[in-house]
Amino acid sequence: MRLEMGTFPVRDIVFGRTTRYDAGRLTVDRDAVLAAVRQDPRIASAELEIAKPGESVRIWPVRDVIEPRVKVEGPGVCYPGICGREIATVGEGRTHRLSGMGVVEVSSVNWHDAGGDFVETFLDMSGHYGEMYPYQKLVNLCLVVEPDATLNEEVKNYAAHKAALTVSDQLGEAVRSLTPPEREVFELAPVDPSLPRVVYIWCVHSPQAMSGSPTAFCTATYGLTQLTPPWYLHPNEILDGALTGPYRTAFAMSWTVANNPLFLDLYRRHGRDWNFLGVISLRTEWTTQTEKQLMANQTAKLAKQLGAQGAVVTWDAGGNEFIEVVRSIQACERLGIKTVFLTSEDDATDGAPTMLEPLPEADAIVSTSFFKNVTLAVPEAPAVSRVIGLPTKIVRRGSTIGLHGGVDGGTLPTTGPLPPPWRYDDHYGFSSLSCAE
Amino acid sequence: MGIPVGMISAIYNFALTTGANRVIRGARIEHVCGDPTLSPEKDYAFGMRIVTTALQTLTIAVPGPTLFDPMAPGKT
Repeated sequence: MRLEMGTFPVRDIVFGRTTRYDAGRLTVDRDAVLAAVRQDPRIASAELEIAKPGESVRIWPVRDVIEPRVKVEGPGVCYPGICGREIATVGEGRTHRLSGMGVVEVSSVNWHDAGGDFVETFLDMSGHYGEMYPYQKLVNLCLVVEPDATLNEEVKNYAAHKAALTVSDQLGEAVRSLTPPEREVFELAPVDPSLPRVVYIWCVHSPQAMSGSPTAFCTATYGLTQLTPPWYLHPNEILDGALTGPYRTAFAMSWTVANNPLFLDLYRRHGRDWNFLGVISLRTEWTTQTEKQLMANQTAKLAKQLGAQGAVVTWDAGGNEFIEVVRSIQACERLGIKTVFLTSEDDATDGAPTMLEPLPEADAIVSTSFFKNVTLAVPEAPAVSRVIGLPTKIVRRGSTIGLHGGVDGGTLPTTGPLPPPWRYDDHYGFSSLSCAE
Repeated sequence: MGIPVGMISAIYNFALTTGANRVIRGARIEHVCGDPTLSPEKDYAFGMRIVTTALQTLTIAVPGPTLFDPMAPGKT
């Protein structure tokens, strides 16, 4: 599999008569793009707004951030499988991307209606809270979209996300036939056989258990969100968006998955520092002991069969999912595969370990700091001049800083100071926070 | 002496490491004391079997973390 990635950096986005890209400036034909979105009869309302780095702007609710990518040559489409998109295997040929920008999916639609999982992320384009996330540096084209309110939650989710992907596709068309200013070739070329063979075990939350549905909306592998045994993915498939966001914590957006710095570094140093074997994607939140251990065993077996001597492991969640992740690490170590685990940490209370089940085999762990904003002592996000999206935010029990386990707070104006969401969670090493001594 | 604890858990191996001396095997994380795929009567009976087993363990002296299986033969 050989993929040529053409990058078109975006410095600025403006609305204008035609959607076009010219030397860093993306002009968007607002009416044409919205017309494409409104072709879906499930969409009740849609608007586009631009948010630029440094502005006193808050975007709420943020469900996903998508980097526009289009297949120019080769089979399939980028972000395959999700929302009914083609499922042909991707990763071959040529793909064009618009870097430095995001399409932000803004909608009141919640993840599912089984309870316990709420959209909590807002994004500030300036100020300390926004600085914690990579999206503050992107020029963001926000799609504020509401599906028909009479649809069921799952259908609404897919309609809202499909609308965001439609916007992404529309923008990608602007650069389909242009010559990219930056080009990079990605392939797993044969390398010096003495280089260590390394696999990336990429654990991804499945909403199946919490939502009660195998098709509930969430981070997807070729559009599938259900619990599946470990998959092998060629790294080019990741570059073409085979793993999409979003998951409910702010880092597992489609943008962060496609721009995962850990993944890109593993790939770019293939042939120089190691022999990168590719990605094993394990879906997590299996709900019995047996299933969790089975996934761990099979993940390690797959890594061993691929010839892995080392494995880098990440996950994107919290809670009981830790068990299959750490047991995968244990199973790998027991098969002679050396592991490194990148993870965020819980509070260290009364000397208790900062992770759920610290097994002795997981002996090389890199911390991306605490996953709770309250532990990080993140102050309230300050008042802003402009809001894109909903004018109010419910301060919700269990999901908002200071209210974990308490009762639902009131409804706050989005413009005003807002308590940060409960979770922070840098899954892929974007920020510079690490463990506190 | 402290208060005896019977911990019903679907992830029982992990539960055995938490300091609970009596761990009772539950069904699934999202329905520990039941099974929504069963009819209401059978779901209730299934749940009662798990819970009564758990209550019984509180009367049993154990040397350390011990796993009890409500579905083992002989349990009512």
